Amino acid sequence: MKKSESKSQAKASIKTARRSSQSSASAANGSRRNGASSEKYSVRKNPYGILDYRLEVLDCRTVEEWTDGQFRYTVEGDLSAEPPPLRESRYLNKQQSIEIYRYMLLNRKMEQTLENLFKQQKVVGGVYLGLGQEGCSCASAYALRKGDWIGPLIRNQGALLVRGFKPRDVMMQYMAKSGAPTGGRDAGSHFGDKLQRHIAAPISMLGDLIPVLAGVALGARLQGKNIACLTWVGDGGQSTGPTYEGFNFAAVQKLGVILIVENNLWAYSTPVDRQAACKDLANRSIGYGVPGFIVDGTDPNQVYDVTYDAAQRAYAGEGATLIEAKMMRMRGHAMHDAAAYVPQPYFEYWKKRDPITRMEKYLLDKRWLSAKENSDLIASTQNEIDEDREFADASPYPEGSTAGERVICDNSVEIPLLYGKPKVKKAEKKKVGAASDVAHFR
Amino acid sequence: MAPVTYLEAIREGIWEEMERDPAVFCIGEDIGVYGGAFKVTEGFVHHFGSERVIDTPIAEAAIVGAAFGASLTGMRPVAEFQFMDFISCAHNQIINMVAKANYRWDAPAPLVLRGPSGGGVSGGPFHSQNPETYYAHTPGLKVICPATARDAKGLIKAAIRDNNPCLFFEHKFLYRRIKEELPAEDYTVEIGKARTHREGRDLSVITYAAMVYVAQEAADILAKEGIELDIVDLRTVAPLDKEAIAKTVKKTNRVIILHEDTKTGGLAGEIAAVINELAFDDLDAPIVRIASLDIPVPFSPPLEKFFLPKVEDVVREARRLRAY
Repeated sequence: MKKSESKSQAKASIKTARRSSQSSASAANGSRRNGASSEKYSVRKNPYGILDYRLEVLDCRTVEEWTDGQFRYTVEGDLSAEPPPLRESRYLNKQQSIEIYRYMLLNRKMEQTLENLFKQQKVVGGVYLGLGQEGCSCASAYALRKGDWIGPLIRNQGALLVRGFKPRDVMMQYMAKSGAPTGGRDAGSHFGDKLQRHIAAPISMLGDLIPVLAGVALGARLQGKNIACLTWVGDGGQSTGPTYEGFNFAAVQKLGVILIVENNLWAYSTPVDRQAACKDLANRSIGYGVPGFIVDGTDPNQVYDVTYDAAQRAYAGEGATLIEAKMMRMRGHAMHDAAAYVPQPYFEYWKKRDPITRMEKYLLDKRWLSAKENSDLIASTQNEIDEDREFADASPYPEGSTAGERVICDNSVEIPLLYGKPKVKKAEKKKVGAASDVAHFR
Repeated sequence: MAPVTYLEAIREGIWEEMERDPAVFCIGEDIGVYGGAFKVTEGFVHHFGSERVIDTPIAEAAIVGAAFGASLTGMRPVAEFQFMDFISCAHNQIINMVAKANYRWDAPAPLVLRGPSGGGVSGGPFHSQNPETYYAHTPGLKVICPATARDAKGLIKAAIRDNNPCLFFEHKFLYRRIKEELPAEDYTVEIGKARTHREGRDLSVITYAAMVYVAQEAADILAKEGIELDIVDLRTVAPLDKEAIAKTVKKTNRVIILHEDTKTGGLAGEIAAVINELAFDDLDAPIVRIASLDIPVPFSPPLEKFFLPKVEDVVREARRLRAY
């Protein structure tokens, strides 16, 4: 690392912390201190100086083993620790915390319903679950403003709910129904909404949303507005070329891209140890020259706070942020995958860190939610899911003959500028001059 | 008005669109202070500023991804590939992210991806290719290959105003070799419409880009023998102007399809199939394909000359077809 880089990184972190405390004191941005004392915010640094907000650090690694002609993975390290409580949020108030919890419940129950629909053979294709990752998806998306953008992946279905899609939309996507956001043209979580909810639809190839979100931020900036553009990538997805190309571009251009690397330990069946040689994926922020942070991905408060800070930097024109959220994918890659390759101690360790259980306990302990209120909330989300499931199930398939529509956008369609008239340099209109006679090849 | 080169016509087109519409901006490698490897955007950064003439890292996937992202906010980016050979580095963004966006999630992508393609300049295997057919094969894209300065300007303007992703293949051999007077007023050329480059009654040559001039030279030779070529310049390879293809075949009943891209899987096969579907009964002779050899574009001048379609090829095949 160059001296100047490490300096600017440290500076950015300090600036963030300072601004955060300012903005948390301001009522105008809708957040306030929730009464926790400042000692609780002490944060450790990893060996590379990356701020690590976790309240516990799991020291273990996945190793290979051959026994009786069988190859398998085992864990080396101590996984016996009990989970700590959630970190206190610097920003979230009672109502906001309950709202995030509700989205997490909705996310979980929606995916449980998708699993049931899959087993009843009502789903076309596979189902991909974000079990164990709901806190990260929901809390990070919740940290944004209305005009901001997100670019979710398959395990960020909670983020789609936070941005205003209904569980029925997701269900209809999986069931390939005509009322689904893509009208049956694409599957599962592969949908978006440009005009209202500002969601860029993912493609199956990983990392490719990152340059797109950088471009959205660029487009907004050309229209005079700094926005935050949040996207996620897995420990597997961050291995791809477009991840580097896209995030480096965002870093160079100082675009407000927030990249959450969801390190869920498994890329399909490949452990993170075989994706990257660095211990913390957040270390890569140093190479990009942007602030990097580590959070516990099963702690919605940590995820929210760090994403919120990153968004404030984006609004201030200070550029991109890389956040590594550590957690585990608690099921296989998709429904067909039993995840038999994951060593059992991992499941036991991370099951104790179920984000919904942790958030529930946090809210009950804090008395922000009574037992009765909690059970009412759980029942109301279940009702919503059941209603949506019925709606989705009753919806028709698209007419086959409509398959050819909308390949090309008619030129009569008005494409609006989302953030206003682009700012242009004030210069007299003039004709282009002649080009000089220099050419790479003749 | 002084005659304007093919390259200057493209410059004028982009410049005028940037003057007309603040949503238009340029993005690419070395397009700012250097003005691009071929100087298409020379001087742009001084007039429009570095906000609208953006030099990027060497990262084609990021350039296309960012152009698409900006287009989602209503901007109209014009992205340059330094050489169209490098479009392969952004292949996934183009065919999976961009081309399918309107279809999948109702997100039109009004962007232009442009750059120099084609051989004849000893550019070697990575600075001479004609990769247009990969993209003509992908639904959702418009693929434009102009042959004249007038068309180059009219089509780049039409591409910038179009609501769909347009791939604009400029032919680097033509950049400074052809020039003509352009209309003084603002004009566009419709995407998807072919043009008759030369009228003739005996035999059709369906072609595009630099090969238009190979056909033209052949036509001059053949005219002395009383064989008149009807040269159709497609201008756009996606969408194909099937009507124009059928029309010329119905007129001459004999057809050569000529392109600089390599033969196998090249566009000539598709055009032959279109003729088969629309004008089979009008054929008096087999359809002939003339294209580059199925090899990488070789570097050394004699090797490249051997590789590319030649005037003699067209003359020879035209005589054969005439006598068929």
